[in-house]
Amino acid sequence: MSTISISHLTKTYGPFVAVDDLCLEIPTGSVFGLLGPNGAGKTSTFKCMLGLANATSGEIRYDNMKLAPATFERIAYVPERSVLYDHLTVAEHFEMQRRAFANFDSARAGRLVGEFGVDPRKRARALSKGMKTATMVAMAFARTPDFLILDEPTSGLDPVNQRAVLNLIINEATRGCTIVFSSHQIGQVERAAERIAILQNGKLAVEGAVDDLKADRKIVEGILPVEDFPVDGYASDKRIARIDKQGRILRLTVVADPDAIASELGGAGAQGVRIVDLNLEDIFIGAVAPAASTADLVETAK
Amino acid sequence: MPIIMTVDPRSGVPIYLQLIEQIKRSIALGVMATGEQLPTVKQLALDLTINPNTVARAYRDLERDGVIETAPGRGSFVRSDGAAVESAQTAASDVARENFENAVREAKSLGLHRAAVASLFGAALDRWLPEER
Repeated sequence: MSTISISHLTKTYGPFVAVDDLCLEIPTGSVFGLLGPNGAGKTSTFKCMLGLANATSGEIRYDNMKLAPATFERIAYVPERSVLYDHLTVAEHFEMQRRAFANFDSARAGRLVGEFGVDPRKRARALSKGMKTATMVAMAFARTPDFLILDEPTSGLDPVNQRAVLNLIINEATRGCTIVFSSHQIGQVERAAERIAILQNGKLAVEGAVDDLKADRKIVEGILPVEDFPVDGYASDKRIARIDKQGRILRLTVVADPDAIASELGGAGAQGVRIVDLNLEDIFIGAVAPAASTADLVETAK
Repeated sequence: MPIIMTVDPRSGVPIYLQLIEQIKRSIALGVMATGEQLPTVKQLALDLTINPNTVARAYRDLERDGVIETAPGRGSFVRSDGAAVESAQTAASDVARENFENAVREAKSLGLHRAAVASLFGAALDRWLPEER
């Protein structure tokens, strides 16, 4: 089983805690989306996963093995920023990859960049940001790896090529490759990822299957009979992750039993009670933005 | 593959539930015939650009509900024993019931009384199902 297992990963830079006791299990053949605001710890996590940074504590295992030279042959990485050499052509980069990695398929790399519309004779310095991303994606996928770690693999690409990258990810997953990717384009994660984690300040804020999170998390909102209606009781309610109250309008972010909570609210005299579906972007914002209320709540659902 | 299939990944409704509903709807409307083969998990995932395990989850639930059957190595098919159509029609009435429930709850929360809701319901029936009055 190719499983990526991250246990109690902590990474500090001086007094700054970039990753704080992170635990994740990523099953074989799954596509895992890592989300978080800028500086949440995504790239630090990737660097520790790749041995590009030393974990302060905790460990990462691939197929129950620690990172070793033999493992690198099975992992491909697309970094957030270009690591291409300005003065080398795309074809010359492929030649370097071919010499470095036994499983690098030059023909496949050439086909992939062709599909993205990149001329392999061009030097990296002449490529746009999107074309650089496409070149790095082609180099990673041309190795038919067991593990793919993709840090913003669609940045700078047009919508058609973004879709092409997502389909490459889906195709690799169906052959059993285990993929972790981050993107600020939440709609892409919503499509391609089966499970996600949302990081905030280096900590795990939310984790789960995208479809389960959508099924369980709803907003229950209603208009309270009076402005000073007591809502403190909801603060200790395990089914409620977040309370936003502005004047008489109450919005509860619930993680279970939305129907029961809606009836309770209606029974308490609230008007216009309704249940609102949340997409991944709503779940993301709900997890990382502070609650607009007098009764601030910490995210309780883990 | 004649399935009415438009999935909205950005919706708050889980994608696998959207897939199940659309496949059942296709069967209930006769767009998908009994015995007909469904696309492979990989093919549908690539066509819709959605996660393959999400498609597999929808197929598993459809198989559990007796709507489709999977023959190892051959693929997934709409069941031909009538159970598929029955299950699809039950699903259609479930969707309708849920929509009615939501509409009545919404009307109540807006302060409408029973008589007003009944009259609105009658008007909708007159408009959309006049021959069955």
